[in-house]
Amino acid sequence: MQSFLDSLIKNAGHDPATWPWTQFVYLAGMGAAAFIVINFAAITAGIFSWAERRVAARMQSRVGPNRVGPGGFLQWVADAVKLLLKEDLVPAEADSVLFRAAPYFMMVGFACVFVTLPFSHRLIVADMNVGIFFIIAVTALIVVGIIMSGWSSNSKWSLFGAIRSAAQIISYEIPGGMALMVPVLLAGTLSTQGIIRAQGGLPWQWFIFDNPAATAAFFIFFISALAEGNRTPFDLPEAESELVSGYNTEYSGMRFSYFFLVEWGNMWVMSALATTMFLGGWQIPFLSADEFDKLTGGLAVLAEVGSLAIFAAKTLFFVFVVMWLRWTLPRIRVDQMMNMCWKYLVPISFAGVLFVAVWMLIVHAAPWLGVAMRVALTAGGGALLAMFVMRTLKNIRDTGDKFDFTSNW
Amino acid sequence: MAETVTAYVKNVRDTAKSFWEGMSVTLSYMFRKPITTQFPDRMGVPVQQTIPARYRGFLEVDMDICTACLACERACPISVINIDTIKGDGKTKPKLAMERFDIDIGKCMYCGLCVEPCPTGAIQHTREFEGATMNFNNLTLRFVPDALSPIAAYKVPKGSDAFPRRQLGEITRKLIKAWDAPPPPFPSEEEAKQDHGKPKATGLDPAAMGRTLAAKALQVKEDKPKLQKVIEEAMAGTDCGDCGYPDCFGYSNAIAQGKETSAEKCAPGGAESKKMLETILVSLKTGVVPGAPAEAPAAAPAAAPAAAEEKPKGPPLAQTLSKDELYKVVLDAMAGTDCGDCEYPDCDGYTKGIVYEGQTDLNRCAPGGEDTRTKLYEIMLGTKPPPK
Repeated sequence: MQSFLDSLIKNAGHDPATWPWTQFVYLAGMGAAAFIVINFAAITAGIFSWAERRVAARMQSRVGPNRVGPGGFLQWVADAVKLLLKEDLVPAEADSVLFRAAPYFMMVGFACVFVTLPFSHRLIVADMNVGIFFIIAVTALIVVGIIMSGWSSNSKWSLFGAIRSAAQIISYEIPGGMALMVPVLLAGTLSTQGIIRAQGGLPWQWFIFDNPAATAAFFIFFISALAEGNRTPFDLPEAESELVSGYNTEYSGMRFSYFFLVEWGNMWVMSALATTMFLGGWQIPFLSADEFDKLTGGLAVLAEVGSLAIFAAKTLFFVFVVMWLRWTLPRIRVDQMMNMCWKYLVPISFAGVLFVAVWMLIVHAAPWLGVAMRVALTAGGGALLAMFVMRTLKNIRDTGDKFDFTSNW
Repeated sequence: MAETVTAYVKNVRDTAKSFWEGMSVTLSYMFRKPITTQFPDRMGVPVQQTIPARYRGFLEVDMDICTACLACERACPISVINIDTIKGDGKTKPKLAMERFDIDIGKCMYCGLCVEPCPTGAIQHTREFEGATMNFNNLTLRFVPDALSPIAAYKVPKGSDAFPRRQLGEITRKLIKAWDAPPPPFPSEEEAKQDHGKPKATGLDPAAMGRTLAAKALQVKEDKPKLQKVIEEAMAGTDCGDCGYPDCFGYSNAIAQGKETSAEKCAPGGAESKKMLETILVSLKTGVVPGAPAEAPAAAPAAAPAAAEEKPKGPPLAQTLSKDELYKVVLDAMAGTDCGDCEYPDCDGYTKGIVYEGQTDLNRCAPGGEDTRTKLYEIMLGTKPPPK
């Protein structure tokens, strides 16, 4: 953030180091950045709420909300207005102070992630050298919010939901964190921008195709992120059929909307993190990060916008995958959820970290082996993708239907 | 719980496989056309065309081929269909015409029993079904738009079994369109004030009507059922139950039987009903119609026995006319709708049956009703028809 502001001021022909009140400029810059980031999070969460309903509808052969604005796009605005105008109820027997405070804890835990989450080559609030560690640490704050809301609601459903959520998030933090160690090892840094810089613009330069353990780590991270975000198939804390709505049962209006803002906003967070760690982030093909730094003038702006678009495209694709998973998989049981974490994800992620450490030594000795592995994995991934597309088209053909994405919107 | 390595690997493989299968299925649905039809405003074709052809929607009558046989009216189990017919001389006016053909769609239960007996297929179910309206009265479909210009009944050409029907749905759709018209305006406060206390412009003189009814009541004083009917005429006839009796019959019957002496209980009838009932009650008590010309009460009882007496008549037409002449007269007495309710194929058949084949049952012409029965008994036997 500071360097970004410095470069802006230098471009305008001043030297910030000579100003007596630079600190205030930086402070104002921080405030502006916080405002932008929080609003970005809120608006994307709103848009995702609409997008998810449209995606869900089409996957179930329905139409979905399509009346408010073009294609129903403004549905989320209408919903937000409704939620803001609803009565803010506090149950009579609830611990009203904790009850009122809980949503803000969740919001803080969620919004802090955006501090080190990159958007493009230069667009990042703060490129901390402990970026990944910071993200893992602040996401744990969400658990505090959930437990607070569950406890203070003084309702058995809320408490059950909160306890399940705590168990789930704490369990899945282990495989999730270990899986994130793989790109950290490969890049040799905890900084998010540093990890993106260590990758490249083309698929075989991404960490996901670096070695088999990294591929496995990607999937483990993605599954853990789903679990930490309470997304289906890990939405046990909000299981409607058992717990009404889980920890947010007693909430209404504005406070309720905070919970959902966090849930949908988390989709961006987990997808952006996956993009950053495993899929080359904002890297533009055939333009290395060092060359990118040296660009000036209009070309630099163009490349900046391009990198922003690439990052957003990759992230939005994963947001779609998260929605897609939700409407594909049923909710798993609590014992299955724990089994999966401790028996499968934890051992595999630990083994993966060990494998990557050894693999790095091997590649150091014989670089051609690393290149061969990257190409082979990329080819394999491409082949799987092609097979999947063909399988999907076959599914459409087998039902006697045809590919039709544009009609009946 | 021990788990073998093969079972462990199998679990992982099964997970990957089920993801593969499941996600390809959901994605394939994503790229197919949703099955939902966006009724009502985003339909490719009108919704009526997407409904099966035999759907039982609103009823429709094509008055151009309606024979006024009343078969549908009789078939309706809940009296949804109301038809009023009027007879003419066959020269300046049609022999049989319909002043009214109303179907109360709000009451209709869509059983289809009226469609079955229709000889020409004039009454049919359409595929119209959207019955939302601002005014409940709109739900009565009036197929004769103006009672003052009755629609002539269709005369079925001999030997035809196909009838030129208008496009199904066309007529009903036009009637339904009228529903969109706004309801009558709610009266403003000034208007309501002006209306209040003003006598209703009914053209009815309650005093005169009361005297007429009282005279009638005196005639039938001893015949309680007839008296009840006369008294009921003075009431509003809404069967509202405000009087404490279940319906108008209950109240009027109680008065006729002498169990009820209050004339003030008919709320919908208001001051008019009260006045008329009072007149009737007073005349029943005193035996004289109050405030009437002196000769009226005297004339009334005199007229009663005169009407009851049988006028001496000549022999019936059946004995004086030739068979062929008789045939024409009898055919003229029939309703002429060729409905087939008489179990003969048409009116012609029934007439021939009576005149040439010795058919003695003269009660079979359903559409003609009491009118035709009276005529037939007059012609064939020279007597009045026995009560049904």
